[in-house]
Amino acid sequence: MSAVNTIIIDGLALALPLLVIAIGGIFSERSGIINLALEGLLGFGAFCGALFAYSCVAFHWFAPDSLAPMYLSFIVAAAGGALFAVIHAMLCVKFRANQVISGVVINILSVAMTGFLTSQINKTVFSGPSSRFDLMTAPRLTVPVLSKIPVLGAVFTRFYPFEVLILILLVVFWFILYRTRFGIHVRAAGDNPQALDAAGIEVSRVRFVAVLISGALAGIGGMCFAYSIFSYFSGAIYLGYGYLAIAALIFGNWKIMPTFAACLLFGFAQSGASQLVLLLKVNSSVGDLAMIVPYALTLILLAFFSKHNRAPRSLGEIYDKSKR
Amino acid sequence: MPDTDVIVEMRHITKRFPGIVANDDISLQIHTGEIFAFAGENGAGKSTLMSMLFGMYQPDEGEIWVRGKRVDISSPNEAVALGISMVHQHFKLVRNYTVAENIVLGIEPVTRLLGLIPYVNMRPVNKAVRELSERYGLEVDPTSVIEDLPVSTQQRVEILKMLYREAEILIFDEPTAMLTPQEISYLLDIIRKLREDGKTIILITHKLEEIKQVADRCAILNHGKLIATMDVATSSTRDMASKMVGREVIFEIDKTPARPGPVVLEVSDLTVENEHGVDVTQDVSFQIHAGEIFAIAGVAGSGQVELADAVAGLSPVKTGAVLLEGRDITRMLVRPRTLKGVSYIPEDRQDVGLILDFLLEDNLASKSYFKAPFSQHSILHKDAFDAYADDLIRRYDIRCSSGALTLTRSMSGGNQQKAIVAREVEQDARLMIFVQPTRGLDIGAILAIRRRMIEERDKGRAILLVSLELDEILAVADTIGVMFAGRMLKVAPADQMTREEVGEYMMGVKHA
Repeated sequence: MSAVNTIIIDGLALALPLLVIAIGGIFSERSGIINLALEGLLGFGAFCGALFAYSCVAFHWFAPDSLAPMYLSFIVAAAGGALFAVIHAMLCVKFRANQVISGVVINILSVAMTGFLTSQINKTVFSGPSSRFDLMTAPRLTVPVLSKIPVLGAVFTRFYPFEVLILILLVVFWFILYRTRFGIHVRAAGDNPQALDAAGIEVSRVRFVAVLISGALAGIGGMCFAYSIFSYFSGAIYLGYGYLAIAALIFGNWKIMPTFAACLLFGFAQSGASQLVLLLKVNSSVGDLAMIVPYALTLILLAFFSKHNRAPRSLGEIYDKSKR
Repeated sequence: MPDTDVIVEMRHITKRFPGIVANDDISLQIHTGEIFAFAGENGAGKSTLMSMLFGMYQPDEGEIWVRGKRVDISSPNEAVALGISMVHQHFKLVRNYTVAENIVLGIEPVTRLLGLIPYVNMRPVNKAVRELSERYGLEVDPTSVIEDLPVSTQQRVEILKMLYREAEILIFDEPTAMLTPQEISYLLDIIRKLREDGKTIILITHKLEEIKQVADRCAILNHGKLIATMDVATSSTRDMASKMVGREVIFEIDKTPARPGPVVLEVSDLTVENEHGVDVTQDVSFQIHAGEIFAIAGVAGSGQVELADAVAGLSPVKTGAVLLEGRDITRMLVRPRTLKGVSYIPEDRQDVGLILDFLLEDNLASKSYFKAPFSQHSILHKDAFDAYADDLIRRYDIRCSSGALTLTRSMSGGNQQKAIVAREVEQDARLMIFVQPTRGLDIGAILAIRRRMIEERDKGRAILLVSLELDEILAVADTIGVMFAGRMLKVAPADQMTREEVGEYMMGVKHA
């Protein structure tokens, strides 16, 4: 397989989970709630999904080689992420806490809680000393004819099933944000909540739901990483991809399609860098340097382009109904 | 006996806020299809009273009757259900949405895609909004985005919003505060058209001129009490004004002829560009002498504010020169300019003129805090701030609840402006720049500031006034410069130009 093919295949496998997390972030931030908690949400979502899938195997709920646990685990991960996001939504919407602090606290809480729960559950339920839930590796699919197209065929080669799921989610959530009443209310809440309130819509309800959506989508993204990069769940899942998703959505100007482009850029930057390291045959400790490429790229791009970006006008602003 | 003609009736309404009685036992009736105005100075209680009709507050005592039925309006939504709508002073518009999207916000029409998936269909809305706009002559394109529209158009979007929701009772809260003279007469025409269509209009304003022009009846409030309800046609402006202020108002300002001294400010061929690289003033030249008020007239956006900013050092000069008493200050920073004798009363008093969350004494000293006695060896002396602020509060009659330690945000607009004027006058500057100094203030405060300008002129200062109000310019100016599209079209002594002539230059109709 050529290096270009590998770059495309690996790039997409990173870019699409990043995208689903970023779309969640867009919903939260377009509604006016800063969401730095994406990292913690994806971790907790993945924890829930992995615990479910691991239990399926341990308790023989399905046939040994069934794919059902994997598919169902994405639903569980989404539910777990949304559940954890309730904390952020409660703090920010109901108790009017500082949104940055709430996000950071949730990230720290998520790392500590999943780490503790993983080893405790392993010890008591599965009677093993492990600090991780082992999963199968997700199967990879190849479309027969399309994959034979030169270069572009790589898009249809050796992709994970969840990549298809994310593309469907992309269309669905784009439609929700831009074409439905709820989406209109989300975007209005982040620009001028007073106007939305005056129009008779409950701003806090809209924001609450938007934050839950961000948790659910982040959970799905986290589950993708558990099944692709790791094939297990452990504290290693907190790689910083939640923050990278935030960078992508800021770089994408809080719009879904430009954010998709930003995610592709980050994905290909990382897979390109690791291919370059392989080709140059440098040793693996130098190879780890390739991991910093997307982050360095983020810094550079944000420094140059973010001045043209416009955040939602009321982002981070606590909406107080009584203050008119 | 029920009067079918009465659409809104307020009976013995009282509303108290901590420390004040905002409305004190107010009873009045508003008839269907009339333009009913509420006049009163800032803080007289007119906005509070109408906020209760719109459901934003609830009265402590008294009853509100709408169409002969007693109602409890506990939220704006209930007011809207009763056909009551309000255009607030600060528009409630989503800035990155189109006109039509704002108008249907909350009541978006839903169509089913493939008979299944619900989505918002803007096409019929755009059409309906376009028709409404044409019917009332509002000239609003439903597909333009709010942030690209000027304030006057945004206001018409708010009007469309009320019409789209089929409101019968339209409340306008200070609708002309942000508008230019031309835009005001356009708005008043629209309001008349709405009345012809059978709508009931409630107009909250402190500009008696406008009441005289459009209103049928007028209620005058003073310190929360209803002073009188008058028929506008049979009352004089002077009469209304004295009721509003609570004493006889002297409109005339004593002004002796100017005795100009040497040139203080010389501006030559000044070109200023805005952040988009567009020249907003082009080769503007003029001089101001000591003891002279030079007023720049022009419609909003003619470059007059940018010109004043450039003279004050707030925005950079592209080409040309600014000379203060013969010294070139074109590239000088703001502080040395201030120290050399330029003081500045900006258009936006809350964002540029003051730090609202600072104490009054800090704002009063904000141009001199770095000098003795306020600061010695880089350490601030709070006693000096206190003493200075107490002195200014007394001499400039700044009304504030806790003296020097009042939070600036809590003060009324008129008193905030008095604080800025006090600070700038105390700079003892050779050149004083006033940009829209009386915007949004009540009659008492307006007259005080105009008198202050003349007083400072008589002390031998050079004064540059930028105002959108022609009345103000004609009242105080010694020399008038008219700007149009970034150019100084005409400079002439004030007594050699009629109001009509100035107006023609402002519209760019007449050229020198």
